[in-house]
Amino acid sequence: MIEIEHLSKRFGESIVVDDVSFTVGEGEIAVVVGTSGAGKSTLLRMINRLVVPDAGRVLIDGQDTATIPEDELRHRIGYVIQGYGLFPHRTVAENIATVPRLLGWDRRRIAARVEELLDLFQLDPGEFAQKFPHQLSGGQQQRVGVARALAAKPALLLMDEPFGALDPVIRGKAQDDLLAIQRRLGTTIVLVTHDMNEAFHLGSRIAVMDQARLVQYAKPADLLTHPAEAFVEQLVGTAERPFRLLSLASVQDAMEPGSAEGDPITVSATLREALAQLIWRGRSALPVADAAGAPIGRISVDGILKHGRSLA
Amino acid sequence: MSARAVILRVAALLLLVAFVTAPQLFAFAFAPLTANDAPAIYNQGSLLALTLSHVRIVVLATLASTVLAVTLGIFVTRPGGREFLPLSRSLVNIGQTFPPIAVLAIAVPLVGFGEKPTFIALFLYGLLPIFENTLAGLTDVSPRTLEAARGMGMNARQRLWQVELPLALPVILAGIRLSVIISLGTATIGSTVAAKGLGEVIIAGLQSNNVAFILQGGLVVALLAVLIHDGLGLAERATARRLGRPVDEIA
Ligand SMILES: Nc1ncnc2c1ncn2[C@@H]1O[C@H](COP(=O)(O)OP(=O)(O)OP(=O)(O)O)[C@@H](O)[C@H]1O
Ligand SMILES: [Mg+2]
Repeated sequence: MIEIEHLSKRFGESIVVDDVSFTVGEGEIAVVVGTSGAGKSTLLRMINRLVVPDAGRVLIDGQDTATIPEDELRHRIGYVIQGYGLFPHRTVAENIATVPRLLGWDRRRIAARVEELLDLFQLDPGEFAQKFPHQLSGGQQQRVGVARALAAKPALLLMDEPFGALDPVIRGKAQDDLLAIQRRLGTTIVLVTHDMNEAFHLGSRIAVMDQARLVQYAKPADLLTHPAEAFVEQLVGTAERPFRLLSLASVQDAMEPGSAEGDPITVSATLREALAQLIWRGRSALPVADAAGAPIGRISVDGILKHGRSLA
Repeated sequence: MSARAVILRVAALLLLVAFVTAPQLFAFAFAPLTANDAPAIYNQGSLLALTLSHVRIVVLATLASTVLAVTLGIFVTRPGGREFLPLSRSLVNIGQTFPPIAVLAIAVPLVGFGEKPTFIALFLYGLLPIFENTLAGLTDVSPRTLEAARGMGMNARQRLWQVELPLALPVILAGIRLSVIISLGTATIGSTVAAKGLGEVIIAGLQSNNVAFILQGGLVVALLAVLIHDGLGLAERATARRLGRPVDEIA
């Protein structure tokens, strides 16, 4: 768990982070959004003390980070930045091994860890371990950047626009992979992004920053239904609101008993996906199947709309 | 490197070795340049010995310049040393603009004749390219790479040795190469203060008005310069290629 308490930072005359407090629970993903220059990166960099706060403190599992030696603190916190910052003179394997090497792990343990991570990120060790960063595509570099941040099994991962440079297709895949890996490892993540879709896709909670202040910190659905300020509404996009809400709910939430004609939709799909299917296939209802493919009910346009109205 | 380039360099090396070990073999080529039955081949000492001491003093002086210039370059790019950058730059620039021959004139009364004043002149003269390239190499490291290094908990020393210096290496090597080449030529003036070197051959030629001697001294220096230039160039390219940089970026 990470507790951010009254963090403030000024650079010269301008206040860049102004009395920001929030808590991220164990295994949660907190996404920080806001306009450019709002202070998101500075906030993130105060967590691993790349920027020293003027006031306030950060507690990790109850321990004040100011009491931990800087380097030791950073060994314990994974850090991914936009552009990934891979070391150009080191191979993929050496890049991933950075923190374990700093920690003095023995050679065999490092090699095993590197291989494990390459597998986890679907990079064939035989093909990629000895490549240099300039020989990789953007998507591959991104994965190596995250693998490197996870190498020493940090309980906390900080990500500053980690998918910013990827094309939309690769970006969606990278987000899904991150979610899968995060669920598996239980890592707590604080992630900064400009992309609201990404925020709603990944965030267990979303922190909205505007001009150095934390305007709202809430679950994604609450942000949509109870925006704290006009700024939040504007950021979330009023036209997008119902669709974002539907994408946060699953078919399960609006499923009706009974059956329908056609190829079934899986129960874990989002309501937004279900609605898209219904519109595209010209149906008013479709059967719902469980993960194994067995029919368990139906989903209808009317049902989704009714559910959507109840959320608003 | 193309096959033809390799062959040319091997030929230059063979020519150099043959000439300094058995210069008499080439007497026929230099005889037409002499008059009044003057000797066609330098005969006042061993060409091989002179070549070796010439190379030796250049290598020693460049090593010393490298140690000082790289150390200084590292120092003025650290947070604590940044304010000394203008001062260091001026000092190193003076070393370069002060003519080596003047350095010799000043150094001889202080340290005597021989290798010492030559060493001092070459050392001062060689600082600038290495210093400037060390600065360029170190300040060129991307802020993002450094941010990542810091974010992963590398301390200042680890960042320097594991990230900054390896990334700056090709550029530093280019500076060293430049410095060596300048020194190879400049070292010939050391013979005016009795340092053993190929300048002796040239001076002997000037004194006895023997063009053959002058050419021989010049030829050996030139061959050395070409070969050393290429050898160090290969090392640079190997390090640069590892970094994925286009080779001509450091040329
Ligand atoms: N080291 C620094 N020195 C001075 N000013 C800084 C420094 N770092 C950031 N700032 C300023 O602080 C403000 C907030 O910067 P920050 O990088 O935190 O914003 P951000 O929300 O991450 O923006 P973006 O979305 O564009 O990345 C900006 O006005 C920036 O110019
Ligand atoms: Mg930022």
